[in-house]
Amino acid sequence: MSQVTTSGPQSVLSGRPLRLIAAAILLVNGMFPALWILFTSLKTEAELTVKPITWLPHAPTVANYMQAFSDQPLHIFLFNSFMVALLSTCTTLLVSVLAAYALARLNLKYRGLILSAIIAVSTFPLVTLLVPLFEIMRALNLLNTWIALILPYTVLSLPVCTLMLVSFFEGIPRDLENAAMIDGCTRLGALFKVVVPLCAPGVFTAGILAFVNAWDEFLLALSFNSNPALRTLPVGIQLYQGEFAFPWPVISAALVVGIVPVAILIVIFQERVVSGLTAGGIKG
Amino acid sequence: MTTSTLNITDRMEKQPPAWSRLLDLSDKALAVLLLAPAGLLLSLIIVYPVLRLVYTSFFSLSLTSGLPAEFVGLENYQLMIEDPVFWETTWNTVLITLITVPGALVVGMALALLANLPFRRQWPVRLSLLIPWALPLSFAGLIFAWFFHSEYGVVNDVLARFGIEGVIWFNSPSLAFAAICLTIIWKTSSFMALIILAGLQTIPRSLYEAADVDGAGRVRQFFEITLPLLKPAIVVALIFRTITALQTFDIPFMMTGGGPGTSTATLAMYIHQNTVSFLDLGYGSALAVVMFALSMCVTVIYLRIIRTKE
Amino acid sequence: MHKSVMVGALLSASIFGLAAPAFADTELKVYISSQHQPQVWRQVLDKFEAANPGTKVTIETGGNTSEAQAQYLNTIMSAKDASLDVLILDVIRPAQFAAAGWTSPFEGKDMSVYLPAYAEANTVDGKVVALPAFADSMFLYYRKDLLEKYGIQPPKTWDELKAAVKKINGGENNPDLQGLSFQGKAIEGAVCTFLLPYWSQGKNLVDNGKLTFDKTAAVNSLKLWKSFVDEGVSKKNIAEVATDDTRKEFQAGNVVFAVNWSYAWAQSQGKDSAVVGKVGVTRLPAVAGGEQATCLGGWEWGVSAYSKNQDAAKKLVSFLSSQEASKHMAVNGSLLPTYSPLYQDADVLKAAPWFADAKQVVETAKPRPVTPRYNEVSEVIRTTVNAVLAGVTTPEDGAAQIEARLKRILR
Repeated sequence: MSQVTTSGPQSVLSGRPLRLIAAAILLVNGMFPALWILFTSLKTEAELTVKPITWLPHAPTVANYMQAFSDQPLHIFLFNSFMVALLSTCTTLLVSVLAAYALARLNLKYRGLILSAIIAVSTFPLVTLLVPLFEIMRALNLLNTWIALILPYTVLSLPVCTLMLVSFFEGIPRDLENAAMIDGCTRLGALFKVVVPLCAPGVFTAGILAFVNAWDEFLLALSFNSNPALRTLPVGIQLYQGEFAFPWPVISAALVVGIVPVAILIVIFQERVVSGLTAGGIKG
Repeated sequence: MTTSTLNITDRMEKQPPAWSRLLDLSDKALAVLLLAPAGLLLSLIIVYPVLRLVYTSFFSLSLTSGLPAEFVGLENYQLMIEDPVFWETTWNTVLITLITVPGALVVGMALALLANLPFRRQWPVRLSLLIPWALPLSFAGLIFAWFFHSEYGVVNDVLARFGIEGVIWFNSPSLAFAAICLTIIWKTSSFMALIILAGLQTIPRSLYEAADVDGAGRVRQFFEITLPLLKPAIVVALIFRTITALQTFDIPFMMTGGGPGTSTATLAMYIHQNTVSFLDLGYGSALAVVMFALSMCVTVIYLRIIRTKE
Repeated sequence: MHKSVMVGALLSASIFGLAAPAFADTELKVYISSQHQPQVWRQVLDKFEAANPGTKVTIETGGNTSEAQAQYLNTIMSAKDASLDVLILDVIRPAQFAAAGWTSPFEGKDMSVYLPAYAEANTVDGKVVALPAFADSMFLYYRKDLLEKYGIQPPKTWDELKAAVKKINGGENNPDLQGLSFQGKAIEGAVCTFLLPYWSQGKNLVDNGKLTFDKTAAVNSLKLWKSFVDEGVSKKNIAEVATDDTRKEFQAGNVVFAVNWSYAWAQSQGKDSAVVGKVGVTRLPAVAGGEQATCLGGWEWGVSAYSKNQDAAKKLVSFLSSQEASKHMAVNGSLLPTYSPLYQDADVLKAAPWFADAKQVVETAKPRPVTPRYNEVSEVIRTTVNAVLAGVTTPEDGAAQIEARLKRILR
């Protein structure tokens, strides 16, 4: 992995101090708001109206986390979100890998039209499709199930994942694939044994996009699952609000609890799966 | 592209002709098979709602009027042309798109190049690219509204530490607009960076080695190797960033609610308002169809760009 | 028992010519916000079930903000869904839901038993479209300790309030102490902000669905709020203040007078509050020579038009909005009663002593315009109030804009 990049053009900046500066920029840009939420979750509500504002909590408290778990079944929200996001990521990746391969490799006559049609899906504001979507789910008797969310989430992430994978697949030289086929692989075998591993960073990114899309979605989750046992995190977090009250510290605690699993998942994936795949894949 | 097609024919000549004919035949069937799951899902989930949306846009259907739906042809579209709020929100949306899409591209590219440096540990870098994106959109809006709060916000606090007097961001249309654009760029540049980073990581090292041998400088390498090879990934990121920019809703909704007045309201907020709050489904549908048309125009232009450059 | 049920079922089946479910097996589902004390409402529902054997009532809890509920209910009612029988609705919504055909009217219901404003809020074109669940209104919260320290009576007019603030600020010399906090952000609360001084001038915005806009009164109202900002009585950034900001700052001891709903009371007396025992509530002040008026809040019960058990659902709603239920919710859930006598009820006052002060306020409350197109009216007013307070629009231009846009909505 690192070998790939050291000889890249960016290595102008690869001196140690410059790397530290780069790391600092990345971390501050990415982490600051999340850290702010973390600090807030350790403050009392009274500390938020102190002037001038405080950055670090004066007297850190975990009371907000206790309240977040005792007021609402936060662990149930987490479990539902995790399962829905995971399952919809799997279906999205499977469906979009297949479709992207067809679009990238088989010289289709209506390629442009199919691509536009797939993109068109993502150009309608979801809120205007809500009622007919609800009717479909009711007709299929899927309301108050995970599937009611997995199906539309798959469709929502399908366009971006498919298009991304098309662009990555097109970058893989065809002879690698042909070599595999001569070695007795079928076309689909070559897809999964050669093309997908070679595009691991792309597939991983597509998977992350699909996962986070599903993890964040609010509108459909609110409308299709009224059963509290099936609520997902974004809907659940709204429940910490009162009719008027907006208790930042408790909501921050719930947000932190919502971000941590995603973060852990990304770290594990990055360290174990992607590094391994790419190290074996790109010999260039 | 041309080299690889050559390779195929090269190899095919070595194969028995029957085998290659079989492959040719199965191409179409394979395509249908591979595209079927996507096609089925799209038609199951999205086709009916979209058709109904377009159909509704030709009706006068306002639930608060207590009147039954009535076919009115293009009247909703005509109303739209005379509606100043439609023009204002569309203009705001276009402006947000024109500012935040290039903004997110530049920032995202910079972040991706930084993240692609040979760090010993990759995950902190990855994580800091992903966290902005993993923060639920509506809460990101609320958090940044708080950052830009004139008294309790961290932005004015930092300014004060440098001896600069803070401003009331949300009292001024232009400052409120700037705050919204900054937030959108922050939130979306990580999406750009992720896709570009994935592209960077699939560029074979050998290309740079060859360039080194040829004596090409780093800057030239960037423009002659990196950028052209990244183009497909960048275009994909741009297409979806542009579509989502045209749909900008949560961040201004949470930060300003469109204020002060309606100076930061977007088309998507206006659609939401008409369908959810005013229950004017006919007009709301017509607005959504216009947004679809706008997005498709942009998409077609992008797709043209990829095709002509290939 | 079982026999009679069977007979009843057979009878109804033969009368209506269909296999209707037996009456005894009626199941009703009630939609309640999860922070409007569903567990206490459950006790009321238990009483109903005990009195109506064979009827089973379940609760579905929804989002807490008025917007989250509207978002959810709009979807399922637009899809003509029959899963909910009884809905709790924000006081501003019954007219819209009735016009959309989503709720069924109550025939021949005597509304005079409730606080008078609720009869108005729930009646559209002479039809009763919902029944009150519990009351709320905007109050003037004030710092009893500070007013006593400077020998000031709770203000009856806005001018008195301004004078009181100037006196207290002069003595306290605390730059963090605000005189008056109210809602200037473009939220629903800003509509009430506009209406308080407007109503106080004896003017109405909408009468029987027709616009009765008085431009002078509107200009005066906007000017009054702007003057609080310009004279330093309120903060310069009042245009970014939402309801809960007012509550937090008052609770932190940084505000002398605050305009807020009843929920702020319990929290101001809670463990995190800096003003426990130092808070008073009173009617909102009047403009000079005007009458004191405040904004009506609260929630209503409606029966879904798509419910398959119309009669049973209406019976349940009648029970839920009965004096008995209202008292139970006041005593056990601290929700303000919709019946005037309950504000003097010994049990209620024992549980919530401050309701004694609340009565005079709730009695002066007026409902926001009752029209199916209320959301559009609200949008016009809240964005204009916000723009005026931000200093983007003058009060005169703001009033003109409100008039022009409301004329288009309420033709």
